[in-house]
Amino acid sequence: MMRALPSWVISLMSILCVAAIWFGITHYGLVRDLFLPGPADLWSGFNELLEEGYKGRELWEHAAMSLTRVGLGFLSGALVGTALGLGMGYLPKLNQIAAPFIEFLRPLPQLAYLILLIVWLGIGETSKITMLFLAALPVSAIAARDGVANVPPERVRVAKTLGATDWQVFTHVLLPSALAEIMVGARLAAGIVYGTLIAAEIIAGNGGIGWMILDAGRFLRSDYVFAGIGLIGLTGIAIDRALLLLERRVVHWAGR
Amino acid sequence: MGRGVWSVVAMVVFWWGFTASGAVSRDLLPSPVDVWAALIEVVTQGYRGTTLWGNALSTLGRLAGGFGTSVIVGVPLGLWMGSNRAANAAIDWVVQFMRPLPPLSYMILLILWLGTGDLSKVALLFLTAFPIVVAASASGVRGVKRQRIDVALALGASRADVFRHVILPSAAPMVMTGLQIALAAAFSTVVSAELLAASDGLGWMVISASTFLRNDVIILCILVLGGLGVGLAAMLRSLDLRLIHWRGRE
Repeated sequence: MMRALPSWVISLMSILCVAAIWFGITHYGLVRDLFLPGPADLWSGFNELLEEGYKGRELWEHAAMSLTRVGLGFLSGALVGTALGLGMGYLPKLNQIAAPFIEFLRPLPQLAYLILLIVWLGIGETSKITMLFLAALPVSAIAARDGVANVPPERVRVAKTLGATDWQVFTHVLLPSALAEIMVGARLAAGIVYGTLIAAEIIAGNGGIGWMILDAGRFLRSDYVFAGIGLIGLTGIAIDRALLLLERRVVHWAGR
Repeated sequence: MGRGVWSVVAMVVFWWGFTASGAVSRDLLPSPVDVWAALIEVVTQGYRGTTLWGNALSTLGRLAGGFGTSVIVGVPLGLWMGSNRAANAAIDWVVQFMRPLPPLSYMILLILWLGTGDLSKVALLFLTAFPIVVAASASGVRGVKRQRIDVALALGASRADVFRHVILPSAAPMVMTGLQIALAAAFSTVVSAELLAASDGLGWMVISASTFLRNDVIILCILVLGGLGVGLAAMLRSLDLRLIHWRGRE
């Protein structure tokens, strides 16, 4: 019988099931609303946040603080990382020199060096944005390097045979061929930067959506916590979709 | 490789020269010698009643608990979702919803629900790795070429045979890639979680050292964490190469 139903009906049934369980256990008081707010509590909590803001700042101000940090850290890290990666892909010497640091930095938990950056640069914006810069850098660099390395050597040779200079080979052959991987790297980096920022705001924040969640959690306002998590999830999806759109537009020849 | 070693040596020499010149206070940026001394001190005398080994083991234990559970639960679930349309329709929305959520954002809820002990951290790591593992396993099964399954069925293989000899080997490379990404994500998360709420582990050591302005210990921990991260990734990669020797030869 299940096989006859279209997929979306099954998904909808499953969502309704979960919603019903959520409504049921909160409505009949099986768990305290301290731990799990019901749908009505969540909605009123969200409206309260929209109208009154949280701790002296409007909700959109918290969101804007987080997004500014993400934007600055991501852009600086992705730009420098891509430039470095292109250089590493093009010049084997540069790759050998820079690779140990990049490979070390990539799997390093970002929050571990945030603590050091806070000691050096203070608790303000500089330390957070520097951390995000360092989070985006290795991912972008490796994507750009591999993008250049994966360009078929025939293409380069053909261009050279036809009389292209090294610079022309770089701008007209290597760069367009590597662009697809660079964009994939950028999306990956954006995801890491976003997740890292939320963690950073939770551990050492003074504003922003991540900080709001932690602070609300300390005061057991779990309706605010849930609303904040929902907002973080939606923003994360929006950032990813925006970059995907950009990717399709910039690399319109991908797969051809 | 040769140049790589030299560039690391050059970096350490530059670091040492920079600190020796007195341009920055040694409290802020300890020299390589100070960090080495901190390593000796922590190894021989321990750090505030804990040892470097003990803290590294706590971190790795949490990681193994959370990541291991996500593999045990996530891989079969993903394989099932990949081969059964109804199961996929019923579960996939949960996975897609969880995937873009930064794990630390729901850490505070897990602490509320499960307490500040290890259970909430292991649950956090499980939830970090789980959607990645499930999504990779399911898409691995979905990517199996239809003709292969049809050929095997036409040659008289049973459903179980097809799963064991066709679907599983074809999906395995994708599953292993998913595990590598999931482990990297969980490693990053475990340190964040320990920074926020823990009484041992390398993340705790970093935050504790920062309150006592022991920057030498912080740098030591960062180096250990970087080494562990590189080591864990290399371990899974070599397991991948050994286990899935047919990767890229399809």
